[in-house]
Amino acid sequence: MTIMAQPPATGGGGGSAAGALYDVIELILDRGLVIDVFVRVSIVGIELLTIDARVVVASIDTYLRFAEMCGRLDLTGGRQPVGLPAIVGQITEDSAERKVRGAIAGAGRAIADTIQDIVTPAGRGSN
Amino acid sequence: MASYVYCFTRAEHPLALDGLRGVGAEETVLRQVRHNGLAAVVSDAPEGLRPKRRDLVAHETVLETLGAAGAVVPLRFGTVAPDDDAVTAELARGARRYADLLTRLAGHVERNVKGVHQEDALLADLLTGNPQLRAANEALRVAGGGSDSERVAFGEQVYLAVEQRRIRDTAYVVAALRPFAELDRHAPAVEGCFMNVSFLIPTDAQDDFDGAVAQLLTAMEGYGELRVSGALPPYSFVDFAEARV
Repeated sequence: MTIMAQPPATGGGGGSAAGALYDVIELILDRGLVIDVFVRVSIVGIELLTIDARVVVASIDTYLRFAEMCGRLDLTGGRQPVGLPAIVGQITEDSAERKVRGAIAGAGRAIADTIQDIVTPAGRGSN
Repeated sequence: MASYVYCFTRAEHPLALDGLRGVGAEETVLRQVRHNGLAAVVSDAPEGLRPKRRDLVAHETVLETLGAAGAVVPLRFGTVAPDDDAVTAELARGARRYADLLTRLAGHVERNVKGVHQEDALLADLLTGNPQLRAANEALRVAGGGSDSERVAFGEQVYLAVEQRRIRDTAYVVAALRPFAELDRHAPAVEGCFMNVSFLIPTDAQDDFDGAVAQLLTAMEGYGELRVSGALPPYSFVDFAEARV
């Protein structure tokens, strides 16, 4: 999903800031220096951004969705091998095969939902 | 009056604040708080600040614009000090650390790379390359979809294969881009992405970095894509100094 930001009402300079806000929201909200003695404004939703990705486990819904998508695939045509490995030859299998069960997709969804809730697009937005 | 804090810079930074607006509904004016060779960019903190699009863009635009003119230490969105004196006190307290951080970040920008698979292409590729999965998929198809538990069991196998592929492809992309970056930092992927990695790259390596991205995009055509943001202020590398100690 892509949310196009409106250009800032005034002020100049920030071309890419306005163009691709959606892709940098989590950087603005969840990175950057934190100073203990200063307050971070209490904003509902922001704390959710720091949830520990490792505790999220993939759900049965995810499994069913994958099964359904595979069932619909047409595998009869000849397929080209994926090009990524060709361009980067020297990756060790080892780093690619580390087991990271469950983490990424689920946590990402929670974050994305939170972001969507708190940053309602001003009008434009597309899938 | 509470002070909203955007970033720290060296006092020599040109700090062209005219034309920039801060967070809040009003035309929030930016000002600087200086102490002992350092400067902080602040504004009055608006009441009831929430992360609205307008405010996120304002925060980002201030940092991005100032970052293009000299090193900045970006603060996290929503940081509020009791007043300007407290900002001065923080600049004094953390003087060495901030000066060191600014030195290390000078001449660098952050690029954030999010990778997205085309799900159909990814699944087709996995099934094609994995006879077991492909046979299981065929068996379910022949059985008219199979039982719930069969579909869940199959879907879990596919999910695990997808996760492994996400890790593999992240490793490929990072390995291809790392030569142009000084540091990289992985973050939890956001919706629909298989990777979400920020790179700290020297300003003069940006063209090479972008060239490598272009090569990757060509290699991934029909299979996925990369969304690159930046040049960004170095949000993900503000603990650079500690990380190196």
